[in-house]
Amino acid sequence: MGPGLYLHIPFCQHHCGYCNFAVMTGADDAFRTRYIAALKMDLSAVAAGGPRAVAPPGADVAPEWPTFTSVFVGGGTPTLLAPSDLAGLLRHAREALPVADDAEVTSEANPDGLTADGLSALVDAGLTRLSIGAQSFAPGVLSFLDRRHDREAPLRAVAAARAAGVAQVSLDLIYGAPAETARDWAASLRTALAARPDHVSAYALTLEANTPYAARVRGGAQAAPDDDVAAERMAVAGEVLGAAGLERYETSNWARPGARCRHNLTYWGGGDYLGVGAGAHGHWQGRRWWSTRPPARYADAALAGGSTTAGSEILDDATRRVERLMLGLRLVGGVDRAAVDPVDETALRDLVSAGLLDEDPDRLVLTAAGRPLADGVTLRLLPG
Amino acid sequence: MTYPAERIRNFAIIAHVDHGKSTLADRMLQVTKLTDDRTMRAQYLDRMDIERERGITIKAQAVRMPYPAVDGQEYLLNLIDTPGHVDFSYEVSRAMNACEGAVLLVDAAQGMEAQTIANLYVAIEAGLEVIPVLNKIDLPAARPEQIAEEIAALLGGDPTDILKVSAKTGAGVVAVLERIVERVPPPVGDADAPARGLIFDSVYDAYRGVITYMRVVDGRFVHGMDVRLMATGFHNEISELAVISPEPMPIDALGPGEVGYFTAAIKEVDHARVGDTVTDHGNPAAHPLPGYREPTPMVFSGLYPVDSDDFPDLREALERLRLNDASFTFEPETSVALGFGFRCGFLGLLHMEIISERLDREFDIPLVTTAPNVAYEVHLEPRMVAPNQPPVLAVSNPADLPPPNRIDHILEPVVEAMLLCPSTYVGAVMQLCEQRRGDLRKMEYITEERVELHYELPLAEIIFDFFDKLKSSTRGYASLDYEPAGLRRGDLVKVDILLNADPVDAFSTIVHRDKSYEYGRAMVGRLRELIPRQMFDVPIQAAIGSKIIARETVKARRKDVIAKCYGGDVTRKRKLLERQKEGKKRMKSVGTVEIPQEAFVAALSVGGGD
Ligand SMILES: Nc1nc2c(ncn2[C@@H]2O[C@H](COP(=O)(O)OP(=O)(O)O)[C@@H](O)[C@H]2O)c(=O)[nH]1
Ligand SMILES: C[S@@+](CC[C@H](N)C(=O)[O-])C[C@H]1O[C@@H](n2cnc3c(N)ncnc32)[C@H](O)[C@@H]1O
Ligand code: SF4
Repeated sequence: MGPGLYLHIPFCQHHCGYCNFAVMTGADDAFRTRYIAALKMDLSAVAAGGPRAVAPPGADVAPEWPTFTSVFVGGGTPTLLAPSDLAGLLRHAREALPVADDAEVTSEANPDGLTADGLSALVDAGLTRLSIGAQSFAPGVLSFLDRRHDREAPLRAVAAARAAGVAQVSLDLIYGAPAETARDWAASLRTALAARPDHVSAYALTLEANTPYAARVRGGAQAAPDDDVAAERMAVAGEVLGAAGLERYETSNWARPGARCRHNLTYWGGGDYLGVGAGAHGHWQGRRWWSTRPPARYADAALAGGSTTAGSEILDDATRRVERLMLGLRLVGGVDRAAVDPVDETALRDLVSAGLLDEDPDRLVLTAAGRPLADGVTLRLLPG
Repeated sequence: MTYPAERIRNFAIIAHVDHGKSTLADRMLQVTKLTDDRTMRAQYLDRMDIERERGITIKAQAVRMPYPAVDGQEYLLNLIDTPGHVDFSYEVSRAMNACEGAVLLVDAAQGMEAQTIANLYVAIEAGLEVIPVLNKIDLPAARPEQIAEEIAALLGGDPTDILKVSAKTGAGVVAVLERIVERVPPPVGDADAPARGLIFDSVYDAYRGVITYMRVVDGRFVHGMDVRLMATGFHNEISELAVISPEPMPIDALGPGEVGYFTAAIKEVDHARVGDTVTDHGNPAAHPLPGYREPTPMVFSGLYPVDSDDFPDLREALERLRLNDASFTFEPETSVALGFGFRCGFLGLLHMEIISERLDREFDIPLVTTAPNVAYEVHLEPRMVAPNQPPVLAVSNPADLPPPNRIDHILEPVVEAMLLCPSTYVGAVMQLCEQRRGDLRKMEYITEERVELHYELPLAEIIFDFFDKLKSSTRGYASLDYEPAGLRRGDLVKVDILLNADPVDAFSTIVHRDKSYEYGRAMVGRLRELIPRQMFDVPIQAAIGSKIIARETVKARRKDVIAKCYGGDVTRKRKLLERQKEGKKRMKSVGTVEIPQEAFVAALSVGGGD
């Protein structure tokens, strides 16, 4: 699997309470245009610098870019851009970097305002995959989550995507909101499945600091999610999605055979990817870096031809093993011991005997019982 | 100058906290011209910060006041201050033994309290002439006639004979001094016998070594004399001999009846213990003065550094504290749950609090303190005792108690408690004492309204919250004093707390069998609240021997994974993991169970309470 390219579009119509991604609301057309120009310029500059400029200094890296096998446009809400602008961006990526003909090209999308025509323009520009944020099909949950679309919107979006010829459609769902009942969740899953998605991401509502939701929880206006409830919902998701022929391949991700998200697998497998855009993260051969997060500052820096990098780190071997363990355990196939050893052997024995890890001398693989406890398992396996 | 014995008067002031002892002492210094208004600072005698904050006297001090009496003669009055808390009753008795008289100072608005009466009994036992004085007669709430009746009922004598003063305004203070001269007998001692002095206090000083306060009984102590401390055998030359008047004043010699202090390059107060006898090493006395007792700790607790790296620092701090407080003991011990620490012995709960506070204040070492307990005498089952094994064990750490089948019986320390309360609260006081396994020994109406109750109570029952309970059930009107009264057989059991079937030694407690279920249930319930959920179910059990008496379960955590879209920001997720790893290091592990330090502290801080 080759490297991936991530492009960040920070614009949103409205800021959902739970969300702490690098987003902005209220951008006008002029700023959007400016931002896209900046993003393209930055991408060209990164591309021109070659892989040695993003790898750790002195690393043994070929001077030419390898072929990219995935592009992911995330947000924010990329589909808030005019289809022609987004299509232009996809084309620009192919001009700047060697992107494989059969690359997976994803865009995130909000359910509202998607049309078959607009999406066709994106398919013409190479889009192969659309990831739609449905979140829930229960009105009470949507309103708790502070979502502004109605429960039918995601279904219309899927239909538009199919009509436009998007090869793969994915739906994002969020479970565990305090307003959600067990029946709500089961119904949401069934409704999502009725749309025949190729892929489903089911996330547990996570209370993130510095979000409107966190402020409401502190003020007592909304309840925090409960881990026991989330565990139950996660189990139900596993059963219902599995029964519908979707295979789980990561803690929160299910796909029909052949429809796993290549781009995300690159993240979880410790692979290389470029991240371009406000607050975007990249990784190349053991160096991680991230861009300036405020969109206006990012755009200014990029257009001035300056550095858009806000920070970076070089991972030593031990840290790379920690990351491989942390990410690899989340994959249903687990992780090769050779990539993560040494681990705490006593903890490993305890975890195996408690039925949280499979008994396998060569790989670390969570059992079904261990899956929702991946973070604690990781913590205990860490050496020292 | 040395005074002839017939013109020396040594006296103490017995008073309850806030009844005006310090104010009266200051006033006496003023009257005897030792201080003027300008230099007078409030509460001349009390010195330690902690004492000042808590309004109690821990350490005795002595001040020497030359007083020109109405009869035209100059007398030497030595005021020997005494500690004001039951934990220090031995120190009180030693200070009293250095006197011939005592002023019984009673707040004319408050009346007498149990502690005052207890100290009064000590004074009477020591054969002191007691001079009752009513203070604060300037207060509108003063009831001098009524309180004088109460005092006369206790002491005998004519209520109208009792002096009435206001330490605040100074009214009546001269009359008190006159009465001391008139009634307190002069000291008697043999000026030609080998020198003997009674140590009633010793204070550590970083520069001069230990400052030893003594009352000379026989002979003469002179500067440069090689003195010996008879109980410890330590001897050295006196490098400084002085009196306090009210600032230290060097003096060449001290004769019979005189009071002062010396230094002799003594490195720790343990060498110059309160109650010990000082003598002339070159010409020693044949016998020490009677009444010396080794300091015996009554209350024990384990002190553990929160951070195990602090263990050497804790040892050093305890050693430093012991330099100036010989009455507390410590021994290293290990706990499976808490690691390396010390089992410390204290005179009482207040003493324990003072030491912990000083550790915190002066050394800044975060500590986990196990619930306080008393020391038990455990008589083993004769058939279970190996030939070369002692049949009786002293147990000061509950975790060390042998299993029930090896025990024949257990003796626990008891105290003779004196409780004083208005007659309307007798019922409440009795109820409390019965709950705490008390035995009523005596009940006496001092007057119509005031009752004196004597109970024998297990020490273990009063070291936790007895005093608070007593105060709350009598609206603060009852007062308490107690003294050790030996050992008594008790139907006692050890309650162990098990986490995931592993006993946690730090939580083991010895309680009366009748209270064991209640205790077990309470502790298990509390721990269930405090222990965070783990990867596995954690059963929490209370057990006596192998019998489980209470059980709760901390249910296994069911989800901890962050199941959210993270995108390419792996750094953030890894940083979170690293922080959790740091947090895990601060956990104490008991078997596979991880307990945050704070949970331990919280569970122990209420240990033994209701
Ligand atoms: N009104 C009045 N207050 C007094 C008198 N003697 C002492 N006090 C006050 O009572 C309080 C306690 O006095 P203090 O000498 O510190 O008591 P100690 O704890 O026995 O040493 C202080 O606020 C004094 O000012 C007095 O004769 N009259
Ligand atoms: C980067 S967001 C963009 C998706 C798109 N803007 C939308 O909202 O439809 C990707 C997904 O992350 C998930 N997500 C965002 N914040 C979350 C939170 N606090 N807890 C759980 N899931 C969250 C949502 O399911 C969301 O669809
Ligand atoms: S959840 Fe999606 S739409 Fe809502 S604020 Fe976040 S990125 Fe924007």
